[in-house]
Amino acid sequence: MTRDIKEFMRGGEPLDDLISELLEHGEKEALLELVLLRAHEEMSVPDYMQCAEDHQTVLVVVQPVGIVPEDQFFRIYKRIASVAQVSIRDSQRNLYIRYRHHYLPENNEWGDFQTHRKVVGLISVTTCRSAKEWPQTSDRFYSQKEVFGATLYDSRLLVFGLQGEIAEQQRTDVAFYSSYDDCPDVEKRVEDFVESIFIVLESKRLDRATDKSGDKIPLLCVPFEKKDFVGLDTDSRHYKKRCQGRMRKHVGDLCLQAGMLQDALVHYHMAVELLRSVNDFLWLGAALEGLCSASVIFHYPGGTAGKAAGRKPSLAQGQAQAADAGKRHRPGAQEVLIDPGALTANGISADTSSEIGRAKNCLSPEDIIEKYKEAISYYGKYKNAGVIELEACVKAVRVLAVQKRAMEASDFLQNAVYINLGQLSEEEKIQRYSILSELYDLIGFHRKSAFFKRVAAMQCVAPTIPEPGWRACYKLLLETLPGYSLSLDPKDFSKGTHRGWAAVQMRLLHELVYASRRMGNPGLSVRHLSFLLQTMLDFLSDQEKKEVTQSLENYTSKCPGGMEVITLPDGLKLAPVPFSKLPIVRSAKLLDLPISLRPHKQKGLLGNNMSTKSPFIYSPIIMHNRGEERNKKIEFQWVQGDVCEVQLMVYNPMPFELRVEHMGLLTSGVEFESLPAALSLPAESGLYPVTLVGVPRTAGNITVNGYHTSVFGVTSDCLLEGLPSVRTSGCMVEVIPSLPRLQLSTSLPRSAHALQPSKEELSSSVSVQLFNGETQQLTITLENIGSEDLETLEVTSKTCNTKEKLFGEFLSWDLEEAVSQLPLKPGQSVTLTVNIKVRLDFSGGENLLQDLNDDGISMTGLPISSPLRQVLKPRAETKPLGSESSKTDYNHIKTLEAVMTFKYSGGAGKVEGYYRDLTLGVHVDIEPSVFFTRVSTLPATRTRQCHLLLDVFNSTEHELTVSAKNNQDLVLHASECQRIAIQVAKFDFDTLPQPDQEAVRYTNPKLLEEERLHAQAFMINSTLGITWNIISFVVGVVGRCIQIPIRRHLDATSGDPLARGEASVEGVLNQLVLEHLQLAPLQWDVVVNGKPCDCDIIADCKVGDAVPLEVKLTNHSKNAVGPFALTVVPFQDYQNGVQNYDLQDAVTFIGSNTFYIDTVNPTENSVCVGALLFLFTGDFYLNIKFQDDSAGQGKALPPSWFGLPSLHIKALEAPIEAGA
Amino acid sequence: MAVCIAVIAKENYPLYIRSVPIQNELKFHYTVHTSLDVVEEKISAVGKAMADQRELYLGLLYPTEDYKVYGYVTNSKVKFVIVVDSSNTSLRDNEIRSMFRKLHNSFTDVMCNPFYNPGDTIQSKAFDSMVSAMMVQVS
Repeated sequence: MTRDIKEFMRGGEPLDDLISELLEHGEKEALLELVLLRAHEEMSVPDYMQCAEDHQTVLVVVQPVGIVPEDQFFRIYKRIASVAQVSIRDSQRNLYIRYRHHYLPENNEWGDFQTHRKVVGLISVTTCRSAKEWPQTSDRFYSQKEVFGATLYDSRLLVFGLQGEIAEQQRTDVAFYSSYDDCPDVEKRVEDFVESIFIVLESKRLDRATDKSGDKIPLLCVPFEKKDFVGLDTDSRHYKKRCQGRMRKHVGDLCLQAGMLQDALVHYHMAVELLRSVNDFLWLGAALEGLCSASVIFHYPGGTAGKAAGRKPSLAQGQAQAADAGKRHRPGAQEVLIDPGALTANGISADTSSEIGRAKNCLSPEDIIEKYKEAISYYGKYKNAGVIELEACVKAVRVLAVQKRAMEASDFLQNAVYINLGQLSEEEKIQRYSILSELYDLIGFHRKSAFFKRVAAMQCVAPTIPEPGWRACYKLLLETLPGYSLSLDPKDFSKGTHRGWAAVQMRLLHELVYASRRMGNPGLSVRHLSFLLQTMLDFLSDQEKKEVTQSLENYTSKCPGGMEVITLPDGLKLAPVPFSKLPIVRSAKLLDLPISLRPHKQKGLLGNNMSTKSPFIYSPIIMHNRGEERNKKIEFQWVQGDVCEVQLMVYNPMPFELRVEHMGLLTSGVEFESLPAALSLPAESGLYPVTLVGVPRTAGNITVNGYHTSVFGVTSDCLLEGLPSVRTSGCMVEVIPSLPRLQLSTSLPRSAHALQPSKEELSSSVSVQLFNGETQQLTITLENIGSEDLETLEVTSKTCNTKEKLFGEFLSWDLEEAVSQLPLKPGQSVTLTVNIKVRLDFSGGENLLQDLNDDGISMTGLPISSPLRQVLKPRAETKPLGSESSKTDYNHIKTLEAVMTFKYSGGAGKVEGYYRDLTLGVHVDIEPSVFFTRVSTLPATRTRQCHLLLDVFNSTEHELTVSAKNNQDLVLHASECQRIAIQVAKFDFDTLPQPDQEAVRYTNPKLLEEERLHAQAFMINSTLGITWNIISFVVGVVGRCIQIPIRRHLDATSGDPLARGEASVEGVLNQLVLEHLQLAPLQWDVVVNGKPCDCDIIADCKVGDAVPLEVKLTNHSKNAVGPFALTVVPFQDYQNGVQNYDLQDAVTFIGSNTFYIDTVNPTENSVCVGALLFLFTGDFYLNIKFQDDSAGQGKALPPSWFGLPSLHIKALEAPIEAGA
Repeated sequence: MAVCIAVIAKENYPLYIRSVPIQNELKFHYTVHTSLDVVEEKISAVGKAMADQRELYLGLLYPTEDYKVYGYVTNSKVKFVIVVDSSNTSLRDNEIRSMFRKLHNSFTDVMCNPFYNPGDTIQSKAFDSMVSAMMVQVS
């Protein structure tokens, strides 16, 4: 027995091995026991349910005779058994009855030893359909009586179904009933029967008790003793004493049964004394036990069985009555003390009353245990009394349990484990282990109890059993769960780390798995195995993890595991086990839609966006509720019909690759179509992002509750609220009605460039490489790839902050055509053409200013006769470009970036006020084309005009031509610098629109000034219209060619220019140049001979004729000017640098050569007229100078205001007059 | 001398368990596990009497056929269980006591380690070697 237990305590090997080893062992042991024991002579079947108070009961066997339906028999049996206690009318004593429906005759043979083991009554139940059957039935009844014949006091036969003549006859020992349902007086019959038993019992008691001391007392003995006493001297004193002692003990038993507790105690005491003196240990033990039983009955009227709750109240009541009855029965007896010495050695006094003890005869609770110990130690001396010993142990344990002395009880139980009962059947073993388990449970040793229950379970499936009882095994194993502090609800394990005795718990789970599989319930084993894997993961070794998962996969291949609750036949519910640790999820995060699909709320439609949670706009009290955090609504929105994502950070705790299938989202709130994913996580992976996707089908608030997985064939729904270790930033998000979806494609290649200030995410971006000044067309195709109509489209652009100065509009487009095609049905597309125009600063930088200063050209200086010649003179010598630094400076590629935003909306989402943004980043690398290294002005021959001199530098590697409006092309080789002169009319900046007064007041004057300059520069530039063309490629420079987009190579074959563009002077012009280009506010008009004259106009006149000269001043300035005095100085230019001012002989003035102009008020004009007379022919120039005296006035005004033309007058020979 | 030494947490789960015949470890798990019933019983019995001057040493918890199981409870309700071979008669109560004392001292050292989380299984090398010494000594 103990071997078996030890076997079960071993671990490690699979269960099958364990059982087969057990088998081997069991056989060996069985052989051993066979040799040692004479099996039939001992009582082999212990009654584990016995308790101390059973000693006062009489045993009645109730058995079916012939064919009796089992359920009917047990119904009758129950009714019979309800008569457990009968109060005897005359004697006021109570008789207790123990009913058994099965009792071994071998046990009955121990009836003399302990009378409660003796079958004294027999009730047979039989069915008898007809009178014919009656004799046969009757015979059977008699033969059954024979079995217990020797001990029976009385018997009854209950016949069901028989009617008629036979049934009419009145018999005391037979009762007839027409049917099982119609037997109202069964209880009454049983009571009568019990009373008759009592009469016999009482007579026997009296008979035994009154045996004369002189009579020969028979020796009572137990079955195995019989042959020991053969041939023994029956006359010896020793033998006689033995007989007396045994008889006393027997009488004690009878007294106890007959309800005479005090008498019983006395008899027992005497028996103990007698038997002790003759060392009759077996019977001494029995006497002691009897003493204990009687004392227990006295002390614990509530009983010690603990289980028979129905019996308790009546018993307690009956006990009290019995005690009372005993007292009444022997009034005054209590005070008489027994003097052991008074007992005569050779006989039992007939009158027990004289020997009656008082209540003190009864043992104290402590003594009861001592005596039990003694009794058991005596029983232990006899191998064949194993059952008696075992039962005594059980009884003692029950008493101790009532006394709450667990430690001592455990000692008794420990002893009981070692009691060898010989060869036990498997069933008996199971029973024994179960009862041990129960008893341990009774004394509060739950672990020990679980241990024995588990051994019992294993015994159910021992290989020696032809049909292993896996069901029973499983059931018993389930009962051990509390003992191992194991619950099968995975929720109990979700709180932090598991704290338990993992080694034993795991073993138990393994056994549950195995048992359920053998039971033929694979679903159950899958559930248990899942539970094992989920809850014990931390304790499994790598090898075990592999094994467990392998077997789980084997099981699930036959029976996939799911999330349903498994209900066992006995009502136990097995909660589903979600694999929240396979893989382990660390965080769950709902992802916003990609930037291009993100919905935005229309700004104008406020109100419904405002949360109206609280009437207060602001409250310092923040409701800090951790639980609410999960339910917190997330800021962004999802869109109905669009794929939405949730990112989980997972990791695989297994030492092998983990395949997770059908991983999807569990949601509530709106209709959601989850698109499951399958993933494979490498062994012991670190955190691994997994994105689960799905499409909301309706609008509303969606809550992500958890996720769904299928691992090893087990599907599980893991709810986030059950996983405290998962970090999440909220699970609820709003789903807005569907919006259209646009796809953008462009004619230009996509760029990998992220725009430099990457603060914004962009849907897409394009990049292009252009020369400064070049224009590029970009065709954007927008296709509606959603399911909703596109109803509105807005396009805006924003140039990213750039250090470069940009002139003109970078991106321009015309939306009209595109908008006219709206609404755009799904699948349709619309195109939009965008012009990319890059015009950065064309100035050469710092060098420019210096050059200008060097030159020192002053507008107030004398007119240079032939400026054009100078212009064409190459400037390369003066400005050598050999230095590397300057070269790199020019070749520096600049970038320009802008973001185009397409705002669109439509469908139900538009009604709700949502729109979407599509952004396109435009990235342009700008290669420098031409630079204006210097700029200056030269007065033109006309005062209203002027020459703008630009030093143009070709910074490309290619030959290019530069042309301005009305000018010839200027060919520039790579890195060549040439001067170009453009004749321009002076500008009247006053015609520019004035900034309105409001703006002027609020803006920085400096800014205002800049703006003004800018406008002026723009005006100038637009009239210049300088363009450049690259006409050929220098293929030799490989490095540069690579950067040129392919498009240009294609063009290279045709004669077209490879690139063309504008060049803007806007950035080049400085204040000084602008001033020169400005039309002076004082406008001087000189009229010669009635003909307006300017520098380049040669006025004709005739020698000798008076030439009228008229000077007109128009004041466009804001103040009054003047008065001025003008002097006309004539001179002759010999074109060799010599100017002859000595012309008094050639030119004469009619009147004064000085003109006076009075003060001229704004917008007014003043005219002064003079006349000249040329005396000789020739080319004359007239220089109109201000008189020195007026200089004081003139100094206040800028010199450019006094740009009076110099006149060129050709005096011709007058036609010869007839007279001259 | 000892065949199995176990340290059990207040909440009755093992912090440390080591046995000499390694192949049969589970058997000792069961032995120690079931011995907790007795330990609890003893604690509750003594606890009522005088909680302060409680004797930490619980004595023999229960004998099995092959082994004797001894128990010891610290004031913080951490249990020590030592299983010795019952054939080893040289071990007297005093020796067992001193073994427990040693175990307790070593356990205190483990608890003093700032890197040890109370409630975790004991993985201290010092503790391990001390236990090994106690197991090897006689066997």
